[in-house]
Amino acid sequence: MEWLFEFLLSWLSEFRGLVSQGSKRVFLGYMLSAAIIAVVWLMWQRRLNFVAALRWLFQGKIWWSNSSRSDYQMMFINQPIMLLLSPLMLSKLALATALFYTLNEWVSRPLWPANISTFWVSVIFTSCLFVVDDASRYYLHRLMHRWPVLWSFHRVHHTAQSLTPFTVLRTHPIEGLLFGLRSALVQGLLIGVFVFVFADRVTLLSLLGANAVTTVLNILGSNLRHSPVPISYGKTLERWLISPAQHQIHHSQARQHWDKNFGAFIALWDRMGNTLEYGSSKQKLIFGLSGQKSKEHQLSSLYWKPFKSCWSYYRGKKLDLVSTANITNVTSEQE
Amino acid sequence: MNKTLLSIAVAASFVLSGQAQAGAHAEIYADFPITVKNYTGTKTHSEAYTGQIARHTLHNSAKKLVSKGASLEQTKAYFSGKDEGRKIIDPVSKDGFPMLQTHVDKISKGKNLSGKAYKGLISGMPGSLTGAELLKLMLEKAAATEKGFDPLTGYDYTQLFSKFAMGAVFYNQAVDNYLDEKLAADVNPNSKAYKEGKPYTGKEHVWDEAFGYFGAPAHTMELTAADVYGIAKQKSDSFAKADHNQDGKVSLVTEMAYAHAYYAASFDKGGKTKYLHTIVQAFIDGRKLITSANGEALTDAQRSELMGYAQVIKTQWQRVIAESVFKYAGSVYGDIEKLETIIEANGDAAKAYRNYVKHWGELKGFALALEAGGVNLGEAGVKLNRLLGYSPILLGNTQVTGLVDGEFVQSPSISMGEYQVQMIKVQKLMVDSFGVEARSKDMTANLAKLVDSLGASMAAEND
Repeated sequence: MEWLFEFLLSWLSEFRGLVSQGSKRVFLGYMLSAAIIAVVWLMWQRRLNFVAALRWLFQGKIWWSNSSRSDYQMMFINQPIMLLLSPLMLSKLALATALFYTLNEWVSRPLWPANISTFWVSVIFTSCLFVVDDASRYYLHRLMHRWPVLWSFHRVHHTAQSLTPFTVLRTHPIEGLLFGLRSALVQGLLIGVFVFVFADRVTLLSLLGANAVTTVLNILGSNLRHSPVPISYGKTLERWLISPAQHQIHHSQARQHWDKNFGAFIALWDRMGNTLEYGSSKQKLIFGLSGQKSKEHQLSSLYWKPFKSCWSYYRGKKLDLVSTANITNVTSEQE
Repeated sequence: MNKTLLSIAVAASFVLSGQAQAGAHAEIYADFPITVKNYTGTKTHSEAYTGQIARHTLHNSAKKLVSKGASLEQTKAYFSGKDEGRKIIDPVSKDGFPMLQTHVDKISKGKNLSGKAYKGLISGMPGSLTGAELLKLMLEKAAATEKGFDPLTGYDYTQLFSKFAMGAVFYNQAVDNYLDEKLAADVNPNSKAYKEGKPYTGKEHVWDEAFGYFGAPAHTMELTAADVYGIAKQKSDSFAKADHNQDGKVSLVTEMAYAHAYYAASFDKGGKTKYLHTIVQAFIDGRKLITSANGEALTDAQRSELMGYAQVIKTQWQRVIAESVFKYAGSVYGDIEKLETIIEANGDAAKAYRNYVKHWGELKGFALALEAGGVNLGEAGVKLNRLLGYSPILLGNTQVTGLVDGEFVQSPSISMGEYQVQMIKVQKLMVDSFGVEARSKDMTANLAKLVDSLGASMAAEND
């Protein structure tokens, strides 16, 4: 019984951490800053007064839709599942240590880094971490859309028909595990390399307990990516940074928007991969997957259907992950 | 299976009976009863290790003399001399930390270090010297330097002599002699007095001598690692902890901490290890077992249990020395980092170089000590010697490579940066080969710190 009690306590504490820790996207501070940005934008772009802007932002048909309610349920249920899956996690420390020793064994340590001040070492480390992490997010996200098996899990996120900041947590645990492995891989590799090159002078520039760059971007309204507020940065900036409007395009049902804007923060990867689509402050989009059924918001469907899809791919011997035939299969399912 | 259970039960019963006899002072290495048959002397307890403590004071004093630039004659008096009247140079009374004894003879007469120094070959230094010869050479060389520091070879003789002497005398005598061959059934049997008229049996005294060399206060089990550390450092607020019999003075025999017991305490106070208490408990348990034999020869079961305690002591003691190698490899790494930064900025590197040489001396001294444990270190020993070399890398990227006609000769070697990387390998070697856990000045600690600063990767967040 004691383990159950402890498990429930960790569940609650994880759940509280979701809104109280700066390392989480739905941290209250980020939600508040996003709300302020949205209200100001609505008053400026849509000429709404303050009250009307608030009403538009918090309309019940979005926040209490079938889709949003399933977001909240998943948010709650995913916590204990992720706790149970965490032992499967790749150890960042083991990876970093192994790499550190391997580099010392095979490569001679460069001398020039001794001239770089500790502050700049931290700036370089923090920036590299942000950039490499973002690039890996792009790549994995792209794979999630291209590989049938991965898509069957990632489509859970795309069945959201109304977007709120909590939609970021509408994620199948298997996808959560993959994103965790990706993050551990990137962080472990970078820590190993940086400590090899810069020894004990490496520190993370952190703000609110997370990478300072990510935190600043989160304060600047990352949460509006999953919202109906189509803030566009204009073409010049959107060539470099993904705007909320651009990510909303990624969630659009329209055929021409499929497989666009896989990026999280940096738009460069989408440009390199020919998947960039510019946003517009006037865009009107329908979110979700075309032809999806209302029962897709049921928990049983959200959690179980991906496994069923995998099984049917397997039975139909369509598990050749790189063939274009399967990509056609996936897209036809979206239709 | 049943036989094993039976022997465990028998062994346990002996331990319990030993505990009963030792009575109220069960956890102190003191007041063990006299078990020698027909003893007619006036002594009331059997433990005795004053010769070992005398050697601790000889070592401390010789170290102090080298660091003060004493002559060879003076240092030799403590290393190989046996003369009467030698004053203890260290440890001596300090404000708030008065000592009971002031002369070596007050502890034990006619003792020296050289007679007990390791006679086996030491391969970590050039010249194919034995442990005893190497210590002698160190003192001779030290006398020709300014306060034991030779900037040209990168040798800090105070550190080299001290750290190696602790290994070549104390560690070697304890683990390679008393806890090894002298535990054999036919050597120093428990059924006879160690020497005619002595109040202790052969095995009791052998065990006591090993305990004395470790250098822990008799009441260690009543103290924390931090207490023992404070006692060795003679901190005035540790006085009350040291003065167990409350006579207002610290007895150098039973209440002081020395040598590897001090290093064990220094690592343990970090909270990750328990070397000090594990070793002292094994000494106490072993002594109680011998006492419980009540002056009879030890049975095979008793002797095998005793060997078990000896093995715990040997393993943990070796690990304490390996922890020290680990720690000072980290210090040397950091010293090179500082040295290179100063040289890059054309600053005055004298102080940084002095620290580098000092820490290297400690590192090398402990590494050489590992060789004196009477066990073949195998590949680990070879690797350690190759990684460290015969000296630190000197400012012109040279290193001592030999000893010709009593003079150290240098040759071009690797760069300091490359040597720095070898320090990381030394640390890894200590982890892989000796299982060190305290890991002071861990060069990979920053990896763990960074991992912590990034937090958990596990979150079901999407993009």
